[in-house]
Amino acid sequence: MAEMSRRSFLKTTGGAAAAAAAVPILAGGWHTLLADESPGYFEREFGISDALCRKVLAAALAKGGDYADLYFEHTIGNWIVLEDGKVSRAFSDVALGVGIRTVKGDQVGYGFTQELEEKAMLKAAAVAATIAAGGATAPAGRLAWMKTASYYPLKKLLSDVPLADKLPLVQGINDRCFALSPLVVKVNASFHDQQKRIMVVTSDGTKAEDLQPRDYLTAFVIAEKGGRKEQAGWNLGGRHDFSFFTPDAVEAIAAKAVGDALQLFDAVQPPAGEMPVVLGPGVTGVLLHEAIGHGMEADFNRKKTSTFSTMIGKQVAEPFVTILDDGTIPGQLGSINFDDEGIPGQKTALVENGILTSYMHDRISARFYKVKPTGNGRRESYQHYVQPRMRNTLMLAGPAAAADAIRAAGKGIYVQNVSNGQVKIGEGDFAFYVSQGRMIEDGKLGAPIKDINIMGNGPKMLRNIIMVAGDLELSRGGTGACGKGGQAVPCGFGQPTCLVKSLTVGGVRS
Amino acid sequence: MNKEMLELCAWVVKTAKGAGADACVVNLDANRTVEVSYRDRKPENIKEASTKALNVQVFAAGRYSVQSTSDLRQQALRDFLGNAVIATRLLAEDPFRSLPDPKYYEGRTPADLELQDAAYDSFSPENRHDMAKALESACLQAGGDKVVSVTSQVEDGSQESVMVASNGFEGYSRGTYYAPFAQMTAQDAGDRRPNGYSYAVTVHRGDLPRPEEIGALAARRTLDLLGAKKIKTETLPVIIENQNVGRMLNGVLGAMFGRSIQQKRSFLADKKGQVIASRHLTVVDDPFIPKGLGSRHFDADGLAARKRVLIEAGVLKEFFVDWYYSRKLGWEPTSGSPSNLVIPPGTRSVKEIMKDLGRGILITGFIGGNANPTTGDTSIGIIGTLFEKGEPVQAVSEMNIADNYLKFLPKLVEVANDPFLYSSTRFPSMVFENVVVSGL
Repeated sequence: MAEMSRRSFLKTTGGAAAAAAAVPILAGGWHTLLADESPGYFEREFGISDALCRKVLAAALAKGGDYADLYFEHTIGNWIVLEDGKVSRAFSDVALGVGIRTVKGDQVGYGFTQELEEKAMLKAAAVAATIAAGGATAPAGRLAWMKTASYYPLKKLLSDVPLADKLPLVQGINDRCFALSPLVVKVNASFHDQQKRIMVVTSDGTKAEDLQPRDYLTAFVIAEKGGRKEQAGWNLGGRHDFSFFTPDAVEAIAAKAVGDALQLFDAVQPPAGEMPVVLGPGVTGVLLHEAIGHGMEADFNRKKTSTFSTMIGKQVAEPFVTILDDGTIPGQLGSINFDDEGIPGQKTALVENGILTSYMHDRISARFYKVKPTGNGRRESYQHYVQPRMRNTLMLAGPAAAADAIRAAGKGIYVQNVSNGQVKIGEGDFAFYVSQGRMIEDGKLGAPIKDINIMGNGPKMLRNIIMVAGDLELSRGGTGACGKGGQAVPCGFGQPTCLVKSLTVGGVRS
Repeated sequence: MNKEMLELCAWVVKTAKGAGADACVVNLDANRTVEVSYRDRKPENIKEASTKALNVQVFAAGRYSVQSTSDLRQQALRDFLGNAVIATRLLAEDPFRSLPDPKYYEGRTPADLELQDAAYDSFSPENRHDMAKALESACLQAGGDKVVSVTSQVEDGSQESVMVASNGFEGYSRGTYYAPFAQMTAQDAGDRRPNGYSYAVTVHRGDLPRPEEIGALAARRTLDLLGAKKIKTETLPVIIENQNVGRMLNGVLGAMFGRSIQQKRSFLADKKGQVIASRHLTVVDDPFIPKGLGSRHFDADGLAARKRVLIEAGVLKEFFVDWYYSRKLGWEPTSGSPSNLVIPPGTRSVKEIMKDLGRGILITGFIGGNANPTTGDTSIGIIGTLFEKGEPVQAVSEMNIADNYLKFLPKLVEVANDPFLYSSTRFPSMVFENVVVSGL
């Protein structure tokens, strides 16, 4: 069963898989900057030499500790915003700094500075060093570049894309939305591009450099009919070259936003109580993120604060359920060539054929569990320390047909779009907010519904996934961000249509 | 006033104008934050850093952009400002964009809002570690044999901000804060491990509760979650505990911003002067509370802060209208953002109210949920305790409240006497009647 699932997964993302195969040739397999750029951005731009890195690492380990690392970051972000028919607002942000971390067992000391000068860096290293209280440990004598993959190659730096090329995209969203329906009364549109350059230097002698792009084009529409107003939004994006944003992308975003807003005029009051729920393919993967993803982050399990902390190796779902956290999908928002502590990008099976297989690890938890890190060590920026975080969390395709899942539900809810979610790790109780959905009556899709919170319990929900269809879709948006411990990181989602036997629907009608 | 910061801002104004800007506003912030957390009776994380952030609003040829950077090297900054002006000129013209009319800068209160703890610099690393240890010990002790894990944390910081506009506006503010926090995970039946927490945030160290109280309260809040289950769908009175009221009212506040109204995303747009809630709801925006976490002399536009009644005995009185949307709407500006939001407290404690109500649910947490500002629809998961004859009988979870705010707010029947002081939203617990709580 799982063999078939995996094949259909590759088939579903065939285009992406082909791109992945081509990538190492494009980037020379060494680093992930532009094809014609050699590593060493921070040395060229800011004079960060190996000797300086070793000196700062030595300062971070001046009082002992098992490990230290440096995280250099230079990020340029741009937003252009359309309101009332005009792109009349722009924002730009430049972030520059280095975070210095000293690790002793499961203890972390952290300092950072925005000045890439020796004096400021040594001062930040001295803060990190205070986590230990013994004699000095020496960092590796030599630093060597790590070979990395390239899951998001750029033909052109995003910072080199002229504003004049971005403006027509945003204007196009506005014009298409108004053209699509006379009921549209307001359109907001925006384009965001972010170019994050990072370099991780570790006390075991590795240095790795990356350029992580992130971009998205959004539409937000208000439609009015008979004095009643409804809202809907949509976006496409991820880690893409600017050439991703074609006129077809503009059309797709506008059509989806307008279509969704118009659908809501027919919405009925949603029901309340326990009932079968069918999750449509794609962005509904937020369910996995909340119901199982967070609880499988190894820090919560190491501290025994997750409901999943005693379940590894146990059957937690039907054998046709396989759930991955995958950092290697080209262009996906949560993909990473290596994580923020220099571990290569990879995919990790959380649930394989229904069996709980692996937590998501950073270096600290991997050491605790005596396993290899899984490349899930991530942080929001140089101002934050590493935590185990998700990348792209998805369920592989299963043997059923989507129509059969809806039929089997009989009477329940079909979820089309989800805007946000939350989980209580220890209880496993989770919730996600449905912005767009439909009633299921007599095994068929019925009237639209909206604005309902759906709740469940992670381990219980896993057991209750009774059908998984073959139509795996990945979220194609660029705005998805996950929050944990005050840090936001970009994440992707995906899943095929699946039927959950019972969830609590927070409607108004009993 | 910090002379060095002011000089940098003045240089940025001059440089931006030299690069072709017609006008600009410069904000410079300098922050220091320190964080110490404990677990298993040893430090888990120690973090400390100082940051600076420069933010420039550029007005050029009737166009507008905002640029921010932490790269304050002079040449980098010069290039940054030059590019900012060039980029701004490529945007569409916006006739509503301008610096505020300086008449709205006038009348800034001279009052000392006591936002700076003079003793902050003497808060030593030892003080932080002692406080974190005390939080952890108290939580461990009160949690007893149910404890799976306890984490404590002490975060504190100081910030200094300068704002300068090319039309002569100058503003300065500085402040401090202390935020002790404790959380516990308890072993419940099966694989359930409820997590609860408690915290305080104050401007002055002397106003903090004892760490022992916070730690013990974190344990008690966690133990209160043990045995939680879903009960049958029922129409009941609910009490939303003070520190959670803000999350419930967020959907209402979101519809009160000038942008929401002008962009037709507000279910309250045409409700000014009308009754939107029961007579028990009054909300005041008060920027002048001494030591208040949201207190200020001026807002983000530089407009002099004023105390305003937003909702008075259920009647919607005011919106949050910043300078830009005041021009788009053709309205007088108020302020674009809340300062301290105050709901005047009632006279009875939550305990007394519970006794009086007999049966109901005390909501101590929310999960998931959201609100649609355009329609006022909301749906949110609740966590709390079912009480009967005024006494807690059953912890509840995985239950939900859904309604439209225009139907929900009139169900408010009482506010308690317990405003939550560790937030800029100083809301007391609130009692709503006839609420459908959905579960089984």
